[in-house]
Amino acid sequence: MSTSPLKAGERAFNILLLLLSISILVVAYRISGFESVRSPGAFPMFLGCLLVLSMVVIIIGQRHHPRPKTTGHLGETRQFFRTHLPPRFMVFTLMTIGYLLLLTPLGFVPATLLFMFCAIVYLFRGRWVLSALVTVGATAIIYALFTLLFQVYLP
Amino acid sequence: MGDTLSYFLMAWSDPWLLGLVATGTFAGIYIGAIPGLSVTMAVSILISFTFAWDINNALALMVGVFCGGVYGGSRTAILLNIPGAPSAVATAFDGYPLAQRGEAGQAIGLSTVMSVIGGMIGIAILAASAPVLSDMALQFAPRDYFLIAALGLLLVGSLAAESLARGIFAAALGGIIGMIGMDPVTAQGRFTFGSVDLLGGVHYVIVMIGLFGVAEALFQLHQLDTTPVRQKVDKIIPSLHLVLRFLPLSLRTSIIGVIIGALPGTGGDIAALFAYDHAKRTTKTPKVPFGEGAYEGLVAPESANNAAVGGAFVPMLTLGMPGDAVTAVIIGAMVVHGLNPGPMLMIETPHIFWFIVGALVLANICLLVFGLMGIKLFARVVELPRAILIPLILVLCVVGSYSINGSMTEVFWMLGFGLLGYFMKIFGFQMGPVILGVILGPLMDKTYRQAMASVGDSSSAFLMDLVTHPLSLILTAVVVLLLLSHTPVKRLWTRR
Repeated sequence: MSTSPLKAGERAFNILLLLLSISILVVAYRISGFESVRSPGAFPMFLGCLLVLSMVVIIIGQRHHPRPKTTGHLGETRQFFRTHLPPRFMVFTLMTIGYLLLLTPLGFVPATLLFMFCAIVYLFRGRWVLSALVTVGATAIIYALFTLLFQVYLP
Repeated sequence: MGDTLSYFLMAWSDPWLLGLVATGTFAGIYIGAIPGLSVTMAVSILISFTFAWDINNALALMVGVFCGGVYGGSRTAILLNIPGAPSAVATAFDGYPLAQRGEAGQAIGLSTVMSVIGGMIGIAILAASAPVLSDMALQFAPRDYFLIAALGLLLVGSLAAESLARGIFAAALGGIIGMIGMDPVTAQGRFTFGSVDLLGGVHYVIVMIGLFGVAEALFQLHQLDTTPVRQKVDKIIPSLHLVLRFLPLSLRTSIIGVIIGALPGTGGDIAALFAYDHAKRTTKTPKVPFGEGAYEGLVAPESANNAAVGGAFVPMLTLGMPGDAVTAVIIGAMVVHGLNPGPMLMIETPHIFWFIVGALVLANICLLVFGLMGIKLFARVVELPRAILIPLILVLCVVGSYSINGSMTEVFWMLGFGLLGYFMKIFGFQMGPVILGVILGPLMDKTYRQAMASVGDSSSAFLMDLVTHPLSLILTAVVVLLLLSHTPVKRLWTRR
């Protein structure tokens, strides 16, 4: 069995998944309890048990894996943010949430122009003119393609 | 026979359908090749756009994208050492060293021809076996469907994930997501938390776009600054001598590809790895060692992963079970269009089956044409900066998920699944088992309850049925052996 070091935050994530699995099992039980072997809750309960069992196996299997090379929980948290939730990820995700929130009040074209321009400028670290050209071109193509060819409703 | 031929040629004789297959294949090559875009992602997004289309148009486009995408991944694997798709991972082992040796053109040409040979063999086996299999499938009992679905989930869980436990977790999570909403038998809400909105369930296309589109886009943020090393490409069309030299290996590995592709839950990626291993074991004296640019190491995975496309359609069209993640998505598309993938498909709508077969053959011909030309344009397109690609994927995901029901709530669900997928991916959970779980979970629930009803809710009778009917016994044995192979029992057995 491989004993590669755990990634920063891996143990906490697995424990979160275990808690989620237990909650799913409880919710599955509440559907119809042990009413019958083919009640609406029977198979969901089986899946809930699988979730809990497999997560327990994963957590137990990792007990001998070395912890990430950090100093204490604070160090691990810092490394987790640095590696998996770097500023680039956080900013881009916030931009995406902002985009979704603005879609209804602004409409598809203005919100998409704003989101794409900001996101491309941010990810390119500048290059304003290129970003503006790409944004306008891509939005125009998407709009034309989906309204004319695919005939779908845009937000 | 006449009808069959006319259904088969439908995509060939209608210029619009022909154009859609060709466009799909062309687009698929680029989608498969551009790291960050995947066939599953593209087909998931396509479903939402093609809702209102005629089924033939939608299938023509999807079949083209599927075939093109599986092949396209190999080009970036050869040129940039970045497999554009999981099925091209094994291609990079020898493809990139070949490119470094200045033989990129030959490698691309040979991989194109071998992909088409593999693809055609896959389709031939699909056309020959599916009618027979679907006749047999009519005799299957609900418990057999239950066992086949369980086998599919176990296979994808054990082969696609780092460990069986992770695979089972991902598949079970998918199953739970698939069961959100009203129970089809009793109309009771499951996992709805009292919300009326959730009674209709979470549309699986939303889950797919989130897990494959958004999660992948977010994951690509980590590779924003990677700059690929471009290789020189010269003569592409391979010599007949080269093709004939590797034809026997291509035929063998194509058959491996079809068989692995036909197993529910396994796809081109696993087929390619098996084929690579087969080539390594059977080629005693390669001119160049494997891993350093052996043509055998290129031919085997490329033949197998394209042959697996035809293979993946076999369980989908005969049993209604997806062969891999892409066919899981295509099943969704067929259901949306009112079709019934499974043994009844061949009886109720045989034209759809033969239309798919015809479109697959056409897509492979398009693959040969597009594969051997336009390499200069290709090299520019695949280097599209991720800074542009990532926001573009996000916008497409939003448009795709909104267009299903015109609901912004579902767009937020899609983002939620994307974030969940991102973290699961980081910590070693694969998305394939989740998607198969979403499709197979409700099917297992239904068949389990049917099987139980048929034995009067007696658990012991159900268990007895599993071992007293020949097909059920074989399937049960395979499931049990597969489970045991991941326990210490296997180690004890091997030690003996």
